[in-house]
Amino acid sequence: MSQKNNLPAVFLTPAMGILAVLALVPTAYAIYISFQNRELSRPDGNLIGFANYIDLFSDRRFINAIGVSLTWEAVTVGMTLLIAVGLGILLFECVSPRTRNLLALLFLVPVILPRVSAAFVWKFAFHPLYGIATYPYKAITGQPLDLLSNPATALATVALVDVWQWGLFFAVIVLKLLETLPPQPFEAAKLDHARTWEIYAFIALPMLKAPLISLAFVKMIESLRAFDLIYVMTRGGPGISTETLDMYAFSQGFIESGRISYASSMAVLMMIATSIAFTFIWKRVQ
Amino acid sequence: MTAHTIGRLIGRLILGLAAFSAVFPMVWTTLNAFKNRVDIVTPTPLFIFEPTLDNFAYVLGRESVFAGLVNSLLISAAAVLIGAVLGLPAAYAIARYPNRWSRDIQFFVLSLRFLPPVAIAIPLMVIWLDFGLYDTRLSMIVTYSLLTLATIIWLSVPAFARVPKEVEEAARVDGYGPYAIFFLIALPIALRSLIGAVAFAFVLVWNEFLIALMLTTSDAKTLPIVASELTQLGRDVPWGILNASVVLLSIPPLLFIGVLSGMLNSAFKRKTQ
Repeated sequence: MSQKNNLPAVFLTPAMGILAVLALVPTAYAIYISFQNRELSRPDGNLIGFANYIDLFSDRRFINAIGVSLTWEAVTVGMTLLIAVGLGILLFECVSPRTRNLLALLFLVPVILPRVSAAFVWKFAFHPLYGIATYPYKAITGQPLDLLSNPATALATVALVDVWQWGLFFAVIVLKLLETLPPQPFEAAKLDHARTWEIYAFIALPMLKAPLISLAFVKMIESLRAFDLIYVMTRGGPGISTETLDMYAFSQGFIESGRISYASSMAVLMMIATSIAFTFIWKRVQ
Repeated sequence: MTAHTIGRLIGRLILGLAAFSAVFPMVWTTLNAFKNRVDIVTPTPLFIFEPTLDNFAYVLGRESVFAGLVNSLLISAAAVLIGAVLGLPAAYAIARYPNRWSRDIQFFVLSLRFLPPVAIAIPLMVIWLDFGLYDTRLSMIVTYSLLTLATIIWLSVPAFARVPKEVEEAARVDGYGPYAIFFLIALPIALRSLIGAVAFAFVLVWNEFLIALMLTTSDAKTLPIVASELTQLGRDVPWGILNASVVLLSIPPLLFIGVLSGMLNSAFKRKTQ
């Protein structure tokens, strides 16, 4: 395929040009707005340098949002991988190939649902009076259970929905990965009377180390998109206990005060942090 | 031996519970969508009830829901079309004509996914306001094209790379030019995986929420926004209508589940050979 022709240029230029414009213009503009004091109600703002960024570091809600976002990342990525590996192995080990395919199809349902739908379905299931998920608790204790209005449990409850969507999906991928492994090492280990869990812990999972790290990477990126679930289920509440960075940026820019420049400075910091972190991880993974 | 059988039994039980948890919430929502309000607001969940079509009739008859449906269909379809027309050739070029920038291009396309949506949506809102295009379908289509284009390129590069090189080589010997090879050989052979990539892009923009929330206020509102507004209604919540609108919103992505599962299968099958 080394012969000279103009196909690569013709095929690549329009797509890359559009991607570059659509990605770089907003990015540059976000940085520009973040140095202004623009608000929704006043379209023109003045350049005020780093004032927004300096304000951010004495903003306790911003510091809280960083904590919530980091907790969210750690919990959802960790739980998703744990569930995916566990269910993936069970799918591979315990059921016939036909059942396996059927279950794999069912496990895809949650992740395909729009997040707004998933959020609503679970919000209603957790409704303290009419919810089906809280019904057993109510029937046994006679007390309503309001997980989403309790600051101690709200974030975990929303995270459960995220793990429900991604954990089952990744379980299917772990299954597919296990199916691609050569059978010989497994048979050899069985001849040596290795227990089933030993085969997975010491043979299968180490062989899948690279793809599993890639899965963790993908989940880290996707976990940044917590906004839809949180917006529908709690709107950052109760109080600010589920207010992630994107939720806080949104409420600063749109709901409460319309301070788009301030919101934009937050967005720029998120952009820098995620770009550095993910570029670093990606280069390490490669 | 018996310990092993018990282990398998427990494993199956866990899998059964997981499958139940995957499907039941949506089934329950669908049941609720056919209930009258009195049958939803009960102290004990009801499985047997007098079904009603009132909720769907109300939702479909509501102008805002219908407008959201039309907007969602038009915007998603146009963005996916742009993404496919520009993205598939680009993916082919990356897969078949590697040069010293190929890796950088692929990383650039992937890195677009790192951008927090909120970081794109805020400046885009200002930009579209300045252009006078805020809250229009056109601005939404252009914005979503960024998502569809990046996604389709990212997923189609491996699909084109799996097309056997010998087939393309044979076509060249037969006198096919590079463009004919793309349109007549590579595209048809990779078609199944490519349809998966395009379907995935469609589901992605159909489900998209944050950008639509920030870039539309009335005229170009998409269905997820309309549905979420229904879920924020005040005290006397019309639960049946809510459930019906969530079911309506979820049908199109669920229609693609077979295609997407097929894409997953073909993506992992070739590696073993």
